[in-house]
Amino acid sequence: MAYVIGIDIGGTFTDAFAADEHGKVAGVKTPSTPPDFSQGFLTVLDELAGSLGTTTEDLLADTHYIVHGTTSTLNALVTGDVATVGFLTTRGHADSIAIMNLEGRYAGLGADQVQDMVRTAKPAPLVPPRLVREINERIDHKGSVVVELDEDGTRTAIRELVAAGAQAIAVSLLWSFRNPAHEKRIGELVAEEAPDAYVALSCEVSPRIREYSRSATTIMNTQVGPRLRDYLRPLEAELRSRGFEGSLLVMQGSGGCVDSADAPSRAITTIGSVLTGGVVGCTRLASELGHRNVISTDMGGTTFLAGLVVDGEPVSTTSTVLNQHQLNVPMVDVHTIGAGGGAIAWVDSGGNLHVGPRSAGARPGPACYGEGGTEPTVTDVDLLLGIVNPDNFLGGRKQLSKELAAESVRKHIAEPLGLSVDDACAAVYAIQNAQTADLVRKVVVTSGHDPRDFVLYAFGGAGPMHCASYAADLDVSEVVVPLGPTAAVFSAYGLAASDIVLTAELSAPSNFPVEPEVFNGAFAGLRRELESRLSAQALRFSEVAYRNEVDMRYTMQLAEVATPVPTGELDAADLDAVGASFGQRYEQLYGRGSGFAEAGLQLITYRTQAVGVLPIRPTLGAVEQSSGDAQPTSQRRVFLDARRGWQDADIYDYGVLAEGHELKGPAVVEAPTTTVALPEGCVGRVDRLGNLVIRYTQA
Amino acid sequence: MPVIPVAGAERFANLPASPEETRRIVGDSLRLHDVDQATVDALDPLTYEVIRHRLTSITEEMGEALKRMSGSVVVTDCNDFDAAIMDEVGDVVQVGLYNTELAASLDMAANWTLRERCARPGIGPGDMFLCNDPWVGGGLHQNDVSLFAPLFVDGELFCWTGAVAHQVDLGGVSPGSWSVGGSDVFWESLPTPPVKIVEGGEIRTDIEDVWLRRSRVPKLVALDLRAKIGANNVAHERLRALCEKYGAGTVKAVMRRTMDDAESRLRAKLRELPDGSWTSVAHQDSARSGDRGIYKIVLKLTKDGDRLVFDFTGTDAQVDGLINCTFAGLRGGIMPVVLTMLCGDIPWACGGIYRCIEIISESGTINNATFPAGVGKASVASAWATMNVTTECLAGMLDTHPEHRKRLMSVCCGTWDFALLAGVDQRGLGFVTMLCDSMAGGLGARSDSDGVDTGGLAPIPMGRVADVEMNEFAFPMLYLWRREEADSGGPGRFRGGVGASSCFLPYDSPLGGVHLVVSAPGKALPLANGLSGGLPAGTQHDVLLRGTDIAAQFAAGRIPGSLAELSGSTDLLPAHHETDLGPDDVYYTHWQGGGGYGDPLLRDPVAVAADVVAHKVSPRGAEEVYGVVLDADYATDLDATTTLRAALRRSRAGVDDKEIPA
Amino acid sequence: MSVFIDENLEQDDAGLVSCRHCSARVGVAADPLRDARVRESAPRTAGPSVRAEASNFTDREVVFRQAFCPECLTLLQAEIVPADEPSFRIRSLKLVGA
Ligand SMILES: [Zn+2]
Repeated sequence: MAYVIGIDIGGTFTDAFAADEHGKVAGVKTPSTPPDFSQGFLTVLDELAGSLGTTTEDLLADTHYIVHGTTSTLNALVTGDVATVGFLTTRGHADSIAIMNLEGRYAGLGADQVQDMVRTAKPAPLVPPRLVREINERIDHKGSVVVELDEDGTRTAIRELVAAGAQAIAVSLLWSFRNPAHEKRIGELVAEEAPDAYVALSCEVSPRIREYSRSATTIMNTQVGPRLRDYLRPLEAELRSRGFEGSLLVMQGSGGCVDSADAPSRAITTIGSVLTGGVVGCTRLASELGHRNVISTDMGGTTFLAGLVVDGEPVSTTSTVLNQHQLNVPMVDVHTIGAGGGAIAWVDSGGNLHVGPRSAGARPGPACYGEGGTEPTVTDVDLLLGIVNPDNFLGGRKQLSKELAAESVRKHIAEPLGLSVDDACAAVYAIQNAQTADLVRKVVVTSGHDPRDFVLYAFGGAGPMHCASYAADLDVSEVVVPLGPTAAVFSAYGLAASDIVLTAELSAPSNFPVEPEVFNGAFAGLRRELESRLSAQALRFSEVAYRNEVDMRYTMQLAEVATPVPTGELDAADLDAVGASFGQRYEQLYGRGSGFAEAGLQLITYRTQAVGVLPIRPTLGAVEQSSGDAQPTSQRRVFLDARRGWQDADIYDYGVLAEGHELKGPAVVEAPTTTVALPEGCVGRVDRLGNLVIRYTQA
Repeated sequence: MPVIPVAGAERFANLPASPEETRRIVGDSLRLHDVDQATVDALDPLTYEVIRHRLTSITEEMGEALKRMSGSVVVTDCNDFDAAIMDEVGDVVQVGLYNTELAASLDMAANWTLRERCARPGIGPGDMFLCNDPWVGGGLHQNDVSLFAPLFVDGELFCWTGAVAHQVDLGGVSPGSWSVGGSDVFWESLPTPPVKIVEGGEIRTDIEDVWLRRSRVPKLVALDLRAKIGANNVAHERLRALCEKYGAGTVKAVMRRTMDDAESRLRAKLRELPDGSWTSVAHQDSARSGDRGIYKIVLKLTKDGDRLVFDFTGTDAQVDGLINCTFAGLRGGIMPVVLTMLCGDIPWACGGIYRCIEIISESGTINNATFPAGVGKASVASAWATMNVTTECLAGMLDTHPEHRKRLMSVCCGTWDFALLAGVDQRGLGFVTMLCDSMAGGLGARSDSDGVDTGGLAPIPMGRVADVEMNEFAFPMLYLWRREEADSGGPGRFRGGVGASSCFLPYDSPLGGVHLVVSAPGKALPLANGLSGGLPAGTQHDVLLRGTDIAAQFAAGRIPGSLAELSGSTDLLPAHHETDLGPDDVYYTHWQGGGGYGDPLLRDPVAVAADVVAHKVSPRGAEEVYGVVLDADYATDLDATTTLRAALRRSRAGVDDKEIPA
Repeated sequence: MSVFIDENLEQDDAGLVSCRHCSARVGVAADPLRDARVRESAPRTAGPSVRAEASNFTDREVVFRQAFCPECLTLLQAEIVPADEPSFRIRSLKLVGA
């Protein structure tokens, strides 16, 4: 036996998925245990063992590695429970983290918040002024030293910061990515003056041009590094004491994982740890189903997440926004767009109906929860439209009240608009779906693609209730609702099926093409760095692949586009081809004729990603084949389409469905953790892995 | 030289025309799509919300497209552009969250084009019109170039889309088209009335050549032209699909209702406020280099029931120089504040919002200037001053209401601190660029909280500044610092946001130095006033140090932290100036913060102490203006503060002999 | 019933404007600061925010003009303007029922 395990710890639930090399799989779910999330980690392992019919000790002894998606880093940053950081930067530029390129006033906010400009504000600076010191030193854009490092002054500054309470030191100097000498020397001085302090240098954490986001990234890394270290070390020790001899890996925002020993020094890369599991799961499932291009939609109670898989790989971004700070963290591009099932429907002072972006959240939650929520939410509407069975929500774990839902819709929507409660619900359902389609479409289009070339995957508790409608608006070819053994723990499945991914980058802005030696030299340096980090992971890989890319732009344009570059030594002709490929990518993103090659090209950043493929890849077993047609368990009235009104729909219990079953809309499929709505004009078919595949027979 | 009237200019002196008047003029030359009121009334809430949301989404996509394709730092990094969807006569249905000052007059340009171009050369599918004539509209000064495009559905002109952005140089005497010595429009970039530069989907190369020939950076201007074409194309593709799905009549009905909705909600808000009038003034010092005058714009805002009357009677006559603005500029000064302070929670459908507004202004004044008055810096001169005075009056109106006063700001950063660099860059190529650091102005204080420090400019909800490293990579310069400036935010019970400064020297240019154009008023007097007893923000302050010892200091391992640490001669620069910087010259430019709110002696002393620690207020400012006494560790001495405040209260009012109860 | 003009002033039904801090009469609806104590001084007295003398840039005299409550001396309005200009800043609420 050889197991791999994925454990995904979110704010509410801790999910686990295990697979062995022969296709045996299991998935379990337990409540999370904040603030000490490791309790839930150990509990879910016990349950997983039970589900596999073995003991925790035997399971751990047979496990090659555990991939862990953790919210701890993100949680620390959101709640501010972080290490006290002292910040050293170039004289004259300490205010960069306060000015925040001014965009810190609105970065990451929704359009409705940006429009309400008078009420916008910047967050408090990442480091308060009393913990910031400016150092006499200066390097120019070519990497030449303009002013030598003032070592005595630096030592004094370090001592002052420690005296002021700094537990960790972040260092970010101007142009340090061009010439790291001063930062590295400061790192040595910190080691001498404050040997116990955690220290992070921007030239190591994020050697990328643009000092504000480089500093913000370095500081946040310094804030969470010690915390992540303090979380992982005892957890790993506990696992060892229970007989675990494999590797504990931590998921990063990039969609690949890293060894837990390496994670704290690059802690900031783990902030997307819990967001990306779903997209990685989609990527793996898509490769099983033979889908190249997938829109991943995860609609939960409070959020709606959308990501893309193109040509079998998750679409990534090189930066992200957290707490209105701009960070250089390579991430799977997961967009949080509007709210999920908790989105509140409301009527504005002009008598117009809106849905979201405000959400009732987990507390008080929708009105139908009976926990004090009075405003109508999408979930209330789903209940009133007959989609959700009040006795079967979250597998019957929560009883819902139709009366409370109806009362909230009547009071807040139907009466102000002079509509019946039914019509009000139908309008909210349709608006929610249309808006979701608008937003998902924007995600697809702004990354340079056409939704018609995609299959849409829908998961999360509320996604399958809406996906057939919002996907229809996008003209995707089909919709897949993952309903096999992975359904309840889809993200954990994604974790178990992931690889080691390490990224190294270096800005060296220059006109393009550069001399081939310079170009090859830059990538050779990145490759050496990654090789040494990979070998430190203490893991066996079935294969290691390197991917190179450069961030390029037209000289006068500021939007850089990440452009793939072949590995190996390139000559001048190859570099011309890289330039051409940038041009094509640019036009794909921004439209035909948008590029302006006459302006010349500039190369800003070199980046290499190393993917260490892990030896065990969970495979999903086939479900039973059907013999005869699917039999509905009951019928009820549902309202799925404003054009058709209330209809009788067949209700199916997912537990008795098998491969090949075809379900014609209007119909509803009730699965343990979700409900799938099939409006008229859709046909759902159960595939060999137990997923429901929805196609459209008419508009 | 006095401005001499130009015969024939009156044709371009555009004033908004009503839809009925526009239709009458267009007559049979063009079929304009329309929809009857019954269709608008019959819209169900579902269809309305779905299509309205999609129109918003399309405007955002236009903005994204323009920003990604543009080559101008002011567009890509500073969001100094905007995009809008207009109905068939040009009324704005939806404007993007970028520089709303620019979009406030797109309607005028599209409408003028309809009236003046419908017969000849005609308006057809695939056509796009370019305009940078501030008298026609579509922008506030010649650097604002708009490109607007009619969308035809079933042979009828269904609607317009438009994109507008600041272009860094379009000719004129000085680089950046910022002719600081100019006395009239002939010193500046040539205004171009609407011209069909795209015909049937193809760029007319002859027209494009005429257009580009004037610029010092024609390639950049060509690139931005394509960016605007791309933005319009994106919108047209999406709007066509929307009409196919729902029918053109329904989509138009949503456009109408969006404007009606914005109008009725603004009117409802106005009815909640007491009637009255609010009068104020905004100043500008210096109209051109060498000029030492101070000019005023006076506004009496009257709120009566559900309408607003903006009466600018009493405003100074237009002047020789570059600071005047046209009627389009005046509107561009009003609308951004109406949007941010009154419509934070109302759709930005300017076509409906304008219906609540009446403007009284005498032609021939500095914010309603006649051709050929100089208007080269209108957007940040008289249009900006119009915005400042509008801010004060609208804030005064909101201040009367317990809820609505939460959405007022004192005047934000009083003007744009213009610094233009031109020359040869470190790669040996010619360059012209506007330094956009001053995008990080201070926002005005609110009635319940401080203004945002280095939070931006009033008309641009999403401004941005480039990183120092990006500027040093792109241009031949080296920064000594970029930092927030203590005391630059207007003192008050709630403090105005602080402005900041940049200090740099020419660096690494093969020429050794760079050319510099400076244009920034607010030096003789501050421009961002406070409210309710709050003090004005600080003054603009630009200093040029000639022949410094900077090289020696660098060699000695020192980075100067203030001008006092540098040797050399000190030039206090006037508002308008053009010169060259040598390799040992250091330029310091300090832009403004926002005005304060409430009596500064009523500010929480603990907040003042925190401001001193964070370098937002100097120790001297804390003592002299706020009356707060701090100990050596910057902690507040409350007893000493009470005593000092009581004394200041008397002395500042000139009543040293009178006892005031504490 | 009175209405607030701003942070410091309120106006009653008869159109009388008084200080919200000490109830002193400050003016009337048409001229709310009529009885305020007005003081003019050099711009530099506004504090360190005024970075340089106005005389460097203009030949007109510029003043810091403050209006105070005549009783409690709360600062009601502040402006830095050319000395030869009257104060244009007037907040005039219509009388309710007028
Ligand atoms: Zn008083």
